[in-house]
Amino acid sequence: MAIRVLFFGATAELVGHREIKTDIDGWASRLLDKIVADYPQLGSQKLLISVNQEHASGETVVRDGDEIAIFTPVSGG
Amino acid sequence: MDFAELSAGPVDLASAARRVVPQECGATVTLDGYARKYTNDKETGETHETEYLIYEAYDEMALKEMRKLIAAAKVKFAISNVGIVHRTGRVEIGETSVVVSVAAPHRRAAFEACEWLIRELKRTVPIWKKEVYADGEKWSEGE
Repeated sequence: MAIRVLFFGATAELVGHREIKTDIDGWASRLLDKIVADYPQLGSQKLLISVNQEHASGETVVRDGDEIAIFTPVSGG
Repeated sequence: MDFAELSAGPVDLASAARRVVPQECGATVTLDGYARKYTNDKETGETHETEYLIYEAYDEMALKEMRKLIAAAKVKFAISNVGIVHRTGRVEIGETSVVVSVAAPHRRAAFEACEWLIRELKRTVPIWKKEVYADGEKWSEGE
């Protein structure tokens, strides 16, 4: 098992991937810090996170098998 | 009936609007959101001339969030049915990008719910818009 991390829109372009895998569980903020360290080009963006297709915060707990998405503020409409 | 959909092709506004209509209703308010040619850059204040838009959705979550908005609107307002369709992929200038259609026994609730739904959709539903210009492109910044 692993944690899937999805990217959309601006974050997908900046990272150059639509999906990566990680094993950083625990607080979502820890996972986010690791991703930004690996892909510093994300550092200039305001980043939001979802866990299992629900909007989440840095204090949301991420577990093995979860589906995470990291994206910029939504701009549909 | 209620519906929340993503569509990779053109949306037929009139048929979307009719799908929400039940017998007890007297009014449907439908927002036809479409791609605008001119946009102001929030940072520089410059006006960009857009050639077309690209919408990208986190499909499963976007549909879930749209269904949540529909359920919340039905609690908050005296309305009967809601239909939402959002485009994905390339959208030409003037082409419909989003439809929000609200049927209610009386029009006031339908207007209010429609305004609330599009405002919340733009804030919570994971869809992103890229503006493509003659000389570049930019992912639109959400609020």
